[in-house]
Amino acid sequence: MSREMKANLQGVDWWLLAAGLLLAAAGLIMVLSASGIMAEKFYGTKYHFFHRQALFCGIGLLAMIACASLPRPVLYGGTYLWLLLVLVLFAATAFSPLGVSVNGARRWLRLGFFSLQPLEPAKVALVLYLAYFFAGKQDKVRSFAIGFVPPFAVTGLLCVLLLAQPDFGGAAMLCALLFLMCLAGGTRFVYLFATFGIAACGAVMLVLHSPYRFKRFLAFLDPFKEAASSGYQLVQSLYAFGSGRVLGVGLGAGRQKLFFLPEAHNDFLMAVVGEETGFLGVSLIILLIGILLWRAFTIALKQDDLRDRFTAYGLALILGLGCLFNLAVVLGTVPPKGVPMPFMSYGGSQVIISFVCLGLLLNLSRRAGLRVAGGSAVGAAAPVGAAA
Amino acid sequence: MTRRAPINKKAKPRKTERVERPGDGRWRICAVAVLFGLVWLALWGRAGYVQLVQGEWLADLARRQHLAAEFERGERGDILDRNGRQLARTVRFNSIYVRPVEVENRDAVARSLAEGLRKSASEMRASLNSGRNFVWAARAVDDRAAHEIAEQKLKGVYLTHEYGRLYPNNHLAGQLLGFTDLDGKGIEGVERSRDGVLAGGKAEFVVQRDAAGRRLYLDAEGREMDIDGRDVTLTIDAHIQDLAEAALARAVEHHNGRAGTCLVVDVPTGEILALANFPFFNPNVYRKQPVDVMRNRAAMDIFEPGSTLKPFLIAAALQEKRVKPESRYFCENGKWKFKNHVINDDIHSYGWLNVTEILRYSSNIGTAKIGLDMGAQAYSGYLARLGFGERTGLNLPGEGRGLLRPPREWRDMDVAAISFGQGIGVTALQLAKAYLCLANDGIAKPLRLFLDEKAPDEPGQRVFDASVARSVREMMIEVVHKDGTGVKARIDGMLVGGKTGTAQKALPGGGYGKNYLSSFVGFFPGDKPRYLILAMVDDPSRAFYGSTVALPVVREVALGALAYTCQLPVKDAGVVEQAKAAPAVPAQVQTAAAVSGSHAVVAKAGQAEPVAEADRVPDVRGLPLRKAIEILARQGVVPKLEGRGAVVQRQSPSAGDPWPGQAQPFTLWLKGYAES
Repeated sequence: MSREMKANLQGVDWWLLAAGLLLAAAGLIMVLSASGIMAEKFYGTKYHFFHRQALFCGIGLLAMIACASLPRPVLYGGTYLWLLLVLVLFAATAFSPLGVSVNGARRWLRLGFFSLQPLEPAKVALVLYLAYFFAGKQDKVRSFAIGFVPPFAVTGLLCVLLLAQPDFGGAAMLCALLFLMCLAGGTRFVYLFATFGIAACGAVMLVLHSPYRFKRFLAFLDPFKEAASSGYQLVQSLYAFGSGRVLGVGLGAGRQKLFFLPEAHNDFLMAVVGEETGFLGVSLIILLIGILLWRAFTIALKQDDLRDRFTAYGLALILGLGCLFNLAVVLGTVPPKGVPMPFMSYGGSQVIISFVCLGLLLNLSRRAGLRVAGGSAVGAAAPVGAAA
Repeated sequence: MTRRAPINKKAKPRKTERVERPGDGRWRICAVAVLFGLVWLALWGRAGYVQLVQGEWLADLARRQHLAAEFERGERGDILDRNGRQLARTVRFNSIYVRPVEVENRDAVARSLAEGLRKSASEMRASLNSGRNFVWAARAVDDRAAHEIAEQKLKGVYLTHEYGRLYPNNHLAGQLLGFTDLDGKGIEGVERSRDGVLAGGKAEFVVQRDAAGRRLYLDAEGREMDIDGRDVTLTIDAHIQDLAEAALARAVEHHNGRAGTCLVVDVPTGEILALANFPFFNPNVYRKQPVDVMRNRAAMDIFEPGSTLKPFLIAAALQEKRVKPESRYFCENGKWKFKNHVINDDIHSYGWLNVTEILRYSSNIGTAKIGLDMGAQAYSGYLARLGFGERTGLNLPGEGRGLLRPPREWRDMDVAAISFGQGIGVTALQLAKAYLCLANDGIAKPLRLFLDEKAPDEPGQRVFDASVARSVREMMIEVVHKDGTGVKARIDGMLVGGKTGTAQKALPGGGYGKNYLSSFVGFFPGDKPRYLILAMVDDPSRAFYGSTVALPVVREVALGALAYTCQLPVKDAGVVEQAKAAPAVPAQVQTAAAVSGSHAVVAKAGQAEPVAEADRVPDVRGLPLRKAIEILARQGVVPKLEGRGAVVQRQSPSAGDPWPGQAQPFTLWLKGYAES
């Protein structure tokens, strides 16, 4: 038994695991600090969000362990099933009464005690699909009809569903995933850049057409000009970071969370980190993110199997894009988009999916470590074989 | 795995051969990883830049929105009379101002402001177009108008609160109360002398606020701070003050005097019940009145008292055993040449008079001789112990010390003059304090003006033996009740003691002119004084004797105060009506009040409440209207009023009838005016 466990644990990327867990732990603390006052005002208890976030982390940990120990056939077997499931979730969000509309955007699916944001599982499903696709269709990947159309069609469909919510940030996230996956997967640069050029044009058109998006876009260029309106979030976020200086004002002592920072416990959690723990704390988090990315990409590169490699790569992209995009937003370097910080920000879907990504990466790292020993990997050949 | 690996390994080189780029994507993944690394580094740098380089600037901006440096002023305390009536209070009023720059449509705003504030639209337009940044649309606006304006939510129009001081009784005790400036700082009178107590604290605190501007008190700061000023309770009784002011005003105006002062002191406690100055000063509109009117003359003006000083000389001489009440002096038949001066007796000339008679007839020559017999050293010691030459300790702003020269500077003529009240400067308060000593059986007591200050524990310094004080009081009773100068002060059924004073006013260049200061001091009752009342009229022109000018003021106030406190002998009821005092009180009430020693309990009622059987209509005839309505209202009856007046003359249904039903009217016929 113990030997089996040892064998199971062999190859587990402890750095990755530690980074993920530390981020989640730091997030838990910061969520408490950022949401306490707000939670007390609206829910009557300081710990409302903290308790929920702790619960999400617990579920996430279970999901991570499950994903890390799942046999590969189970993982890879349901690629299309996952996609279908995600599409159903999107449809349910858009059309069923379970969909919840917040601030004019219908992004959540109310499932009893917790709301699911289909975008999060969609990322994983998309990555699994694209990895499967590029690994399996390597020989046809440069052709237009087979190598280009299916992944773009699938991603495009998801993006359209996201834009309908509307969730521009989510769509951009999926497009970025597609782009980077295509880049690694070998799609022709001509197709790639032409498509993304067109998409970028479309995005610009969209931005220009919607005054709200246009304003928000311009606001990021000079947030202080419109500090009271469209640049508000950004300015408040920068205030928070600035107030933190080197050592921060102290855990819990931040003031920006007093309803100045919208979504302080959520997308702008890093601003609270910046204010309360200063550059030191922010650096610590950035360092953890660095470790996470380094290990995730390393795991991807270590994979010998193409599908494994692309999967690991895609999972690294999900976490990496999330972290960097979120940092970029809160630091005012890209237009503000609602992107949570993986592991840290409050939100069940995000936390659980981050842990799922972590678990899958650990699973793959374990496989990579067990390259020779592998016993349960037999079935894994099936999709590849089918593709070949 | 074994099957798969070769396939992969085969596939890759195959692809590599077939296509230009290696298909395993490793280098591409590497490239993306490097790209991520670069972005990661850049963001780290960005965080450092924002937090370390821009930090100070951003932190400062943030602090401005988090922290509201606020200061809050506590409300200034009220000034109350001894019964808790407000003499001065703080009111909050609305003011409306406009920032014309922010106004979009000035004409429309001017029109709606003018309409809401009942002002002329053209003036409003003019002030909006005056080019200034800040324009008061209206100050001290009533709540309704302010609310209506606020409801309209006009852009650039702001509502604010200002605090002002209101003196609800207008000129009542105006000079005593003083006033505050626009910032609520006491400038004159009690407002100034007790500013430390009255003034609300100013709390400056930096509060944290949230995005909605709500203040967040993270500890007790601010919330539990008690910064309101304290109330000051005066010993003044507003009713007696009003009596004194009314009587004083009548006398000064009747005799065409320049000014007047009237003091009423409660003898057992030394509490000043009234301190009136005329002409009146209304602190509500202090800026519109001449500075002279603001003077609290009773405390500030120094004058030569004249004959009202004589009782102290006699008391001192009795105490020094230089004279006995029966000691006789030759009064030189009204004219005495003394050291190049001539001392005259007014009106009458006298030959031999005993000491009692000297005071009764107020002989200057007699008192001068007594004074000379006693000598400067002894006499001045008594004057000093009585409190002349020093402030009374009431701490009123600008209170005078008086003028009492050291005795070694007194030449004989000075001794003689000071004996009959010349060559010495006193304030009305000092004089009252000295008389208080006589009234108090010779024990010098401080005057008191603040009820909330603790009364001094130790008994005052004894200046005269009780027997001496008593015999001087007896002499003062003779001034009134025998053929003295104060006969007009008599009140039937009560012994009254008094002393007149008719002081020639010194001319600025020396000598005495034709201007007088008439004064009268009375003890009520004279044998065991309860009230000490002092009145002075400055520069009366139709008559100038204290007995004709100041005495009636004292008597009128005495009657009113005695009636008000139910201590007026029943016999004199007719006089009360004449003096427009409260209606006479039934005997049983009077005794009750006298026993309790209360000033106010029965006073307002004026009459005993009729003993009403619950199911029968009470007799409300003869009651003040207010009282009658009070009684009826208790039964749920709102009477119909017929005629004008303040006293119920007739009632229907009459007393003893059963209560009328809902539909039937209850009518009261009114007549006359009663002191409310």
